[in-house]
Amino acid sequence: MAAVLEAPYAERRSFVREWVLTVDHKKIGIMYGVTALFFFLLGGLFALLVRTDLLVPAGVFPAQDYNEFFTMHATVMIFAVIIPLLTGGFGNYLVPLQIGARDMAFPRMNALSYWLYLASGIVFLLSMVSGMPDAGWTSYPPYSVTSTGPGIDLWITGLHIAGLSSILGAINFIVTIQRMRAPGMTLNRMPLFVWSMLVTAYMQLFGTPALAGAITTLLADRHFGTVFFNSAAGGDPMLYQHLFWFYSHPAVYIMIVPAFGIISEVLPVFSRKPIFGYHAIAYSSVAIGFLGFFVWAHHMFVAGMQMSEGIPFMISSMIIAVPTSVKIFNWLATMWRGAVEYTVPMMFASLGFIGSFIIGGFSGVIVAAVPLDMQLHDTYFVVAHIHYVLFGGSVMTIMAGLHFWYPKVTGRMYSKKLGYLGFWLYFIGTQVTFFPMHLLGLAGMPRRIASYDPAFQFWNDVCTVGAYILGLGTLVIIYNLLYHAKRGPKVGPNPWVARTLEWQTSSPPPEHNFDEIPVVTANPYQPYTAEELAQAAQSAP
Amino acid sequence: MGNSWLPVQLTQMAHNVDGLFYFVLAVVTFFFVLVEVLLITFLVRYRRTKRNQVGANVHGNNKLEFVWTLVPALILVIMGVASVHDVYAAQTQPAKPVVIQVIGHEWYWEFKYPNGVDTHNDLRIPAGEDVRFDITSQDVIHGFYLAPMRMQQDALPGRETQFWVDVEPKYVGQTFLVPCDQFCGPGHPTMVGHMTIMSESDFNQWLATEKQQQSKSSGS
Ligand SMILES: [Cu+2]
Ligand SMILES: [Cu+2]
Repeated sequence: MAAVLEAPYAERRSFVREWVLTVDHKKIGIMYGVTALFFFLLGGLFALLVRTDLLVPAGVFPAQDYNEFFTMHATVMIFAVIIPLLTGGFGNYLVPLQIGARDMAFPRMNALSYWLYLASGIVFLLSMVSGMPDAGWTSYPPYSVTSTGPGIDLWITGLHIAGLSSILGAINFIVTIQRMRAPGMTLNRMPLFVWSMLVTAYMQLFGTPALAGAITTLLADRHFGTVFFNSAAGGDPMLYQHLFWFYSHPAVYIMIVPAFGIISEVLPVFSRKPIFGYHAIAYSSVAIGFLGFFVWAHHMFVAGMQMSEGIPFMISSMIIAVPTSVKIFNWLATMWRGAVEYTVPMMFASLGFIGSFIIGGFSGVIVAAVPLDMQLHDTYFVVAHIHYVLFGGSVMTIMAGLHFWYPKVTGRMYSKKLGYLGFWLYFIGTQVTFFPMHLLGLAGMPRRIASYDPAFQFWNDVCTVGAYILGLGTLVIIYNLLYHAKRGPKVGPNPWVARTLEWQTSSPPPEHNFDEIPVVTANPYQPYTAEELAQAAQSAP
Repeated sequence: MGNSWLPVQLTQMAHNVDGLFYFVLAVVTFFFVLVEVLLITFLVRYRRTKRNQVGANVHGNNKLEFVWTLVPALILVIMGVASVHDVYAAQTQPAKPVVIQVIGHEWYWEFKYPNGVDTHNDLRIPAGEDVRFDITSQDVIHGFYLAPMRMQQDALPGRETQFWVDVEPKYVGQTFLVPCDQFCGPGHPTMVGHMTIMSESDFNQWLATEKQQQSKSSGS
C-alpha cells in the first residue's frame, strides 16, 4: 500500500501537474499562503499610500484617490489576506495533518475554493485598472449606490466570489474535522488549532450568506432599479448595515479565532510544557463563535437605533470579552514555570501577539459601552482598536505561524537573525503606528478623512513613521522566508520538538502525509521529559 | 497637548461620560499592566537555561479557571451597569428645548432655527438652555459629531435622529468644529461646520437680525 502511494511522489511532474491541477491539501495550502502574501504586499502598499497622504494636514492625494486607497486597503487585507491566509493557508495545510488524515474530505472542492479565491483577488486587481471602489470596505448605501463607475460593482463581484470560496472551504473543514480524524482522536484530543478551525468554519458557514444578501441587494439597487435602501421609496439603508454587520462582526472573529489556535500551538512547544487549561481554551473558542453572532449592532449604536436599544448589544459585546480573557490567562499560565525559549515564532506569539492584542481587546471593551461609543464611534479610536486586533492580533500571529511551520513546509530553516530583525521591526512598528491613533480619536479626529485639522499633525506623522517601519519589517520577513525556502539549512522532521501529528512525519511531509495512519491515545499537550529532549538535541542535524 | 486627549467638556453630560471613561480606563489599565507584567516576568523568570530545560508538568487548574472567568465577568457587569445610567440620561428628553434642525448635505451642514433662520455650516448654541438637535440627511449618511459634548448621531435620509445638550454658560464666546464623521464621499473631510456658544440674549438677538437679513435677501 505504501509503495503504491509513494510511487507518484518520486516522479517529476510539470509545473501545471504539480500545482495547477493539484488537489493535495498541502500544495493548496501553500498556494493560498503565497497568493495571500502577494496580496499582503499590495494591501500594505495601499496602507502606505494612506499614511503618506496624512503626513500633511492638507493631504498629499486628492480625496477621491485617498478614498479608493483606504477602501482597497481594507478590502484586500480582510478578504484577500487575513481570512484566506488563516483558513485557506494554515487551515488547509495543517488540519488534515493534525488530525492524522491523508487529505481534506473533498480535495477537488478544496482546489475549487483556492481558484475561486484567486479569481476574487484578480477581480480586486482589475478594479485597479478600471476604477477602484471608493465607499470603504463597509460600502454603506446610499453613498455606495450613488457612487459611479465600475469600482463598487467589481468590489461586489469580488466579494461574492470570495464568499463562495469561503463557504465551500467551511463545508470542507467541517466535514473533514467531523469525519476524518485518526482512530482514537476524540474531539477532546484534537489539537487546539483544529478546534479553532472548526469554530471558524461554522462562523463562515452561517455568516457569509448574510454578506451575500447585503451586497446582492446593493447591486440590485445600483443597477436593477430596486429600492431596498432608498428611503424616499420606502426602503431603509439600515437594513444593509444589519445584514453587513451580521456577517462582518463574526468576520472579525473569523480573523482572530484561527490566530488563537496558532498561539495555542506555539506557546506550549517553546515553554516545554503542556498547554494550561486545554478544555477552557477549546470551549472558549466555541463560546466566542456562538456569542459572535449576537453583537453585530454594536456597530450601529449611533446609526438611528434608539439609544437604549444598544444596551443588549453592549452586554453581549462585553460578555464576549470573558472567553477572550480566559484564553489570555491560560496562555500566560502556560508560560508560568515553563522553560521558555526565545525563538522567532515564540517572540511573535508572546510579546508580539499577547503584548499587542490585549490593547485591542481592552479598547474593544471601551467602545462597547454605549455612552463611550456615542463619543468614539467613527473616530481614530476605532481605527486604533481594529488595527490592534487585526494587526497586533491576526497579522502578528500569522507571522508566528509562518516562522513556526516554515521548517515543516519547506524542510529548511530561515535566517534567525533576520527573523528577530523582522520581529522587532513589527513589534515597534505596531506600537508606533497604532497607539497614537487612540489619542487622535480621543481628541476627536474622525476616520476616513484625506485632510485634517492641523492640530492633529504631530501624531499623524508619528503614525506614518510607524507605518514605514512596518513596511520595512514586512520586506525583511518576506525576503527571509522566500530566500531560504530553497537555500536555508535542512532540518529534520521535528526541529522544535513539537507534539502535534504534523511533526511526526517528514519535513516536508510526503504527499500521502503518513506512511501509517497514527493511532491517538491522548491530546497532544503532554509533558516533556529531560531524556526525550536530550535525545532530540542529539539527533538534530 | 490639547490635541492628544479629550477636548473640553461643554456639558454636564460630557462630564458624566468622561467619568465613565476614566472608570473603564482605570479598570482596563489595571488589567493591561497586570497582563504585561506577568508576560514579561514569565518570559524572563522562566527562560530556557542550562538548568531550566523542562517545564513543569501542569495541565491546568479548575479553581484558577473559575476565578479568571468570574472576576472579568463581574467587572464587565459593573461596567455595563455604570453605562446604562448614562444611556437613559442621554435618551430622556428635556421639556421644551430649543429645537435646531440639522440637515446633512453633500458636503455641508444646514441648520434651521426655531424662527426659520437657516444657515450653512454656522451652528449657534445658546448656553444655559436645553437645545435639541433633530438630525436628518438630504442625500447620503453623514455623522453629526460634537466632540466637546461627547455625542454624535448619524444623519440618515428618511429618518430622524436626536440628541440634546445643555452647554455650561462659562463657555460663551468659544467656537468649536462640527465635523462629519460618517464617510460620505470626496467632500467628507471638508464637511466641517463651526459651532459658536452664545449667551441666551446674544443668541436671540442674532436670530432676530439674521431673520431680518434672510427675509430681506429672499424678498428682493
Ligand atoms: Cu463588531
Ligand atoms: Cu458627511
